[in-house]
This record gives sequence, C-alpha cells and structure tokens, in this order.
Amino acid sequence: MTARSHLQDHLPYDHPLSPRSQYRKLPLLARLFIDYSARDLWETDTRRLPAPLAKLRRKACAFAQDVLAPTSSELDLAPHLPPGEYHPKAREVMELAGRQGWLSYFLPAPIGSMSLRAGIYPPIWQCSLVVEEFSRACGGLMLLLSAHHLGTMPLMLSGSVGTILKFLRPVYQSCLRGDPHLVAFAITEPGAGSDAEEGHGAAVYRPGVVATPVDGGYLLSGRKVYISGGDLAKSMTVFAALAGEGMESWTCFYVDCPSPGFSVARTEQKMGMRASGAAEIEFNDVFVPHDRVIGGLRQGWALNRATLNTSRIPVASMGVGFAAAATQIAAEFACTYMLGGKRLIDYQDVQLHLATMLAETRAMRSLVWQEARHAWQPRQLFASVCKFQVTDRAQHVCEMAMDLLADHGSLHENRIERVFRDVRLTRIFEGTNQINRLSVIEDWQGELLGRNPVIGSLGV
Amino acid sequence: MSIDPDDVGPLLEEVSSFAKARIGGAVTRPEEPLPIAELENLTREALELGMLPTGGEAGFGLWESCDQPHDMEFNIGVLRHVARANVGVAFAWHRQALARCLERSLGAAPAGDDLFGTILAPTGHYGLARNSLARWLAGSEQGGDEFHLLADWLDRRTHVTSFVAPESWKFLLWPVWHEGDVLWQRVSRDNVWVRELRFQHGFDEVCAYQILNASGEGQTWQVGGGVSRQLYARILKLDMLGLLAIGSGGMARGLELAREYASIRKQGGKRIDRHPAVQRMLSDVEQACRNADLALHACAQPVDELDLGLVAASRANIHEMLCMAANQVVQVHGGIGYMRDAGAEKLLRDMNMLKLQTGGTREIGAFLAGWFGDYE
Repeated sequence: MTARSHLQDHLPYDHPLSPRSQYRKLPLLARLFIDYSARDLWETDTRRLPAPLAKLRRKACAFAQDVLAPTSSELDLAPHLPPGEYHPKAREVMELAGRQGWLSYFLPAPIGSMSLRAGIYPPIWQCSLVVEEFSRACGGLMLLLSAHHLGTMPLMLSGSVGTILKFLRPVYQSCLRGDPHLVAFAITEPGAGSDAEEGHGAAVYRPGVVATPVDGGYLLSGRKVYISGGDLAKSMTVFAALAGEGMESWTCFYVDCPSPGFSVARTEQKMGMRASGAAEIEFNDVFVPHDRVIGGLRQGWALNRATLNTSRIPVASMGVGFAAAATQIAAEFACTYMLGGKRLIDYQDVQLHLATMLAETRAMRSLVWQEARHAWQPRQLFASVCKFQVTDRAQHVCEMAMDLLADHGSLHENRIERVFRDVRLTRIFEGTNQINRLSVIEDWQGELLGRNPVIGSLGV
Repeated sequence: MSIDPDDVGPLLEEVSSFAKARIGGAVTRPEEPLPIAELENLTREALELGMLPTGGEAGFGLWESCDQPHDMEFNIGVLRHVARANVGVAFAWHRQALARCLERSLGAAPAGDDLFGTILAPTGHYGLARNSLARWLAGSEQGGDEFHLLADWLDRRTHVTSFVAPESWKFLLWPVWHEGDVLWQRVSRDNVWVRELRFQHGFDEVCAYQILNASGEGQTWQVGGGVSRQLYARILKLDMLGLLAIGSGGMARGLELAREYASIRKQGGKRIDRHPAVQRMLSDVEQACRNADLALHACAQPVDELDLGLVAASRANIHEMLCMAANQVVQVHGGIGYMRDAGAEKLLRDMNMLKLQTGGTREIGAFLAGWFGDYE
C-alpha cells in the first residue's frame, strides 16, 4: 500500500508508526507471537478450515462466482413461469451443478460426490460452507440447489441402508450424469406455515394431506403449500397423517411426482429468491406403495423435526452468505463512490459503518461454523439459536448496506436490493424466527426446570 | 391563502373516500403495479378535485398552504390517506405537488402540463452533503472545503443523480450550486442525458431514473442570500414531512393487514393474535404507527416556524421504526407475507424506499451535527 492509496486519517503501512511494518522488524522469537499476515479475509477463514473443507469452500466459491452469479440478476427479473417450466438458464445451471456434484455431496462415492477425505467432518458443516458461497452469489439458485438436499434428508435420516440404496442412490447418480433429479420436502400445509412446527399443539388438527391404506400401499389426498423446488422436483418426501388419526400418525412417504393424481396447482410469486419456485402441490389419490414409507409408520413427526435440526444450520449460513454479499457491495461502493473529491471510504463515519458490518458478518460466521463443526447429531437448541440469530442479524447487515448506498440503494443494478429481498425469506422459512425461539425453549426446558434448580448450574 | 380550519376535517373525509374508492379500487392486486395510464387518470381526477396544485391559480391543493397549523394538518392528512391506499401514488403526488409549489415560490411559470409536468429532486447526488448542507442552511461560517463539498454534491454536470418519478415526467427541478449559493434549475427531459432503469426496490407505480446534465443548461432561478437558505430549508422540511406522512399512512394500512390476518389465521388451536409472540409483533407495528403520528402531530406547525433539525431527527428515527414495523407485518403473515399477492412484502419494499429518498437516513446524524452543533 502506498501513501497515495492509504485512507485519510490512517497511517500508511510504511509509516514509522504503523505497527504492521514495525512488527516485521522485531526479533524472530517476538515475530512468532506478534507478526501476522494480513491476507484477504476470505482466504484467512478458508485456511483455518481442515484441508478437505478448505478445498470444498474454494470449489464452491468458484462455482458460485463462475456459474451462479452471472445469471443471478436475469433469473431474479425473469417473468413468473407457469408451474413446471424451467428457465433455460436455470436448467443449464442445474445440469452443470449435478455433473459437478453439487446435488449429491451428502454421501461419498459410490453413492454420492462427497470427497472421502471430507467424510470425517459433519456433512452439515460441508453443506454450510457450500450454502454460504452459493448465497453470496445468488439466493434463488442457492435455494433451488439446497431445497433438493432438504428433500433427500428424510431418506438419509431414515436409518435404513436399503432406503438409501434404493431411493437416494438413483437420485444422486442421475444428478451426477447431468440429469438433475430434484427431490422436494413437503411438510407445510394450507392455512399452516409455522404449524408445520407447532401443529402438535393444535386442539383439533386438520391434516392437509391424509394417507388412506389400500391394497399394496396408501392413497395420498390433500394439499401442501410453499414447497421449495416442488414445481421442478421429480420426487418428494411428503409428510401425511394416516386416515382417521392425528398428527402423531404423521408418516413420511417418498412420492414419485409423475404419479397419477399428483399435480402442481400453482407456484408463488415471491419477493426474492425468485430463481427457485415455491409450489402448491395437490394430491388426488396418489398411490404410494408400502416400500416408499420412509422411516416407518407414525415416525414422520420425529423425522420431520430431525430434518429441520439438520437444515437450520445451513439456513443460518444463507444469512452469512447474504451478509457477506451485502458487506462486499457496501465496501466496493464506499471504495469507488466519490463525494467532495474523496472516496466515501475516506470519511470516518463510513469506516465505522463498514467495520460494524464486517464484525456482524464475522460473528455470524463464527457461530455457524462453531455449531456446524459439531453437528453430527445436531441439537434442536443449537440449530434454532443459530438460525434465528444469524438470519435476524444478516438482514440488519443488508439494511446497513442499503443505508450506505442511500439514494443508490434501491436500484436493482446495485445488487443490494435483491440481496435484501433474498435474505428476508430466511427469517420466515424453516420455521419463523419466532417459532425457532420457542423451539430453543422447548428443547431447553428440561434444563431450565429440571434436575437442578441452582441457576449457576444451567451452564449458559 | 389558508384553508379554513373548519374545512380541514370534511376535506380530509373527501380525500379519504377518494383514496379508498378510486386508488384502492384501482390497485386491487398488490402484485400488479398500477399501469401508467391509470396513474394518470387518478392524477387527473385528483387535480380536478383540487387535491393537487395546478399550473393555474393557487388553491388549497397539497403543499399549496403551509403557513398555519391546520394547513399542515391538511397536507399531512392528504398524504396519509393516499398512502394508505397506495404508497407509490402518494410519493408521486407529493413530489409533483412540491415541485409545483416551489415553482410558485420562485415565480417560475409552470412548465409542461399538470400531469407530472415537473418533478422535484430535492437533494444532491449522494446523501445530505454530510454536515455541510446543514451548516450552510444554518448560516454558519464555512470554509473552502465545505463549499467544495457542496459544489460537488450539487454538481449535475459530472455526477449522475438517481431519482424515482412517474414515467410521464417532462421537467426536473433540482438545486444547483453557484458561487456559494443554492440556485434552482429546471431541466427538460429532452435536453439532458436520462437513463431509465427498469427495476427498483419498491414504488412499483413509478420508475427509477439516472440523469446527468453535462451541458449545465436549464432554466435557473436565484433568490439569493438568506432567502435562498430559507427556501431550501422549507423545501427540505416539506419533503421530509411528506415522506413521513406517506410512511405513516402506508403503515396504518400495514397494521390493518397484520391485524386482519392475525384474527383469522389459527395455530396451536387458536387464533394467532392470541399468542403473545404475535401480540408483541402487532404491538411493535402499533408503536411505530403511533410514534409516527405523534411526530407528525408535533410537526403540524407553520412550516417556517418548524425546526429543520426536528424534522430531520424525526425522519431518522421514525423511518427506521416504520421499516421495522413493515418487517413485523410480513413476519405476522409468515410464509404468505413473502408472497407478492399478499401485499405485506410490497409495503416493506415501499417503506425501505421512503427511507432511501432525500439522501437516505444514514447521513442525518452528520446533518444534525451541522445543524445543532455547528461543528465543522
């Protein structure tokens, strides 16, 4: 950095009082504890990861920047397509993503694309790294790619190797061949939304989809709403109550979307993440054979909640990705926009603003990585804390970026308004952030009330 | 000329009926923006009703009378009612009316027709010129650096100015800097570089533009000295008040939307408005609306007696609260709140837009330091 390019009121690195240059003059032993390499922050974080995960992060970043980012704006602004229609650019992206392994990375070969060396780390950690990079480039395509993993999660968590080999393997193999077989996750019911989380508390539960036993299997009837990727999915993990029973009978069925009686009634016109559809699905006596009951009869509720525990940390990482994008947009604007003959970044209040955004983003990432690295058996409390805290703060960072761009913040071409529309969804789906706060207490109540009433022993 | 205080209530009743029936009726689908032809029809009707100032004789339209508390009550009320029906329409009318009134103050013959002939862009190319504009408006002693900043902030020849306006605008009225003074310049759309941007965050009824006047040509008015400062402060006060009134009206509708939805949607066996989590969100919205109303009530004073710093400080706080409230309206709706056909997300985008107008709110802190603190 030269004196010419240093920021006003800050010392250039080569100034005698700049600590950065002085550290290098200290004795070797001192330098070992004091000197540091101020490389790019993204690079610093990547190097802190175990090597296989660092490699994954670099690969995800390259794919996001080379493939997702260039089509992001076009897909966001594209007209709303009829249910089931693929935007040609989105199809291209998905085919390439499939071939590169982005639709099959939860399991290693010979089933999926996970690197064997990465296999010793929780898949949720891997997923969080990927989702952050994809979110930074395009919220809509990120969701289209990620909703598929949510859909496959009940198969993976079923505890049955047979289920994985019979159903998940062909899905992954098809994706790897470049023929994306997307799987959607269908829990939300009409008039519900967060009821998917709290329906068990309903005085009278009225199931959105009912499974009636027939010879050889079940007939599914009813509706599911707001199903991410449901319009393009080839199969779907559907949660339904058994006929005449309540929510405790919820069972997961693996449904083939081309089955007779299955239809996509509509897709929603969303505020953001517009490259991914949210579909309303109609089941009209859709036959599902016995062998497509996933995880056992009446095990659907537990399977659903376990799936949400695995997905909420990656949802938090979407927030990190959006906050990182917002911070980057704001920093680029501040470094290039001129006011009164100076760059905005030369003004002290702008520096304070950006420093806060950076700190917020890094605090979010720290929380997500901290939880993700231990998420072999993700606890509800940790997953929900991560989800609501990070997504709430992520939106705040996006708002800070819009504020910094001020008069220019509302223009689509400056990107931040789209990032805001994208991040807004993360506070709603996978249980609203209010529901996630209650999920924390639900999981924590045993410690709060139970065994030892001495507050100090809670271990907060 | 001032409105009879007894007429304010009945007049606002009429505005309210018009806004509900005509504007509300024209925008039944939140995901479908009002076509420009429909916006023009509504504007024509509003002009005929006397709600908006025309190029002819002065009347009692929006911002035409600002010298009595009840005048201001009327102006604020008009924008609240219109915004309750549609925030974008209220914004378009606010800026059109303000341009017309500024033309009158300048003694300028109106340009173009009454349908969005002239639109106002009240600030420079970014923010509020830090604390320099406030210090200039306050009459503080200023040095070369500050004049340099102000000259750059209002330099229309080299800096692109972004603004939003109805598609049919023909002239733009904006402040320019000339030898230590603010002049007002009216430029014709045909004579400047204009870039129409296809998409902006909110205000779906209007368009975003970027404009550059490289030649510097245009009709210019100089009022000079203290009058110049007073006029600019007056315009800023009215503009900020207008944005606040629009926000308040828009969020009054937001509160209705949230309450209506919370009273019919059930969860856990009961209406969601019976859940404390939802009640708290509804209270947040209520609180923001009441704070906005309080601020507007405090600002219903003769405009020249109103302190610009008070209005700017209110703008900074209230728009932040209104945006938070709009977020809570979305959140109360849950998944459907994110969908364009429900109306909540549009309201959120519009609240964000209001915050970003007139230099945004981030620089208001610096502006207030210049206004109240006289810090260089």
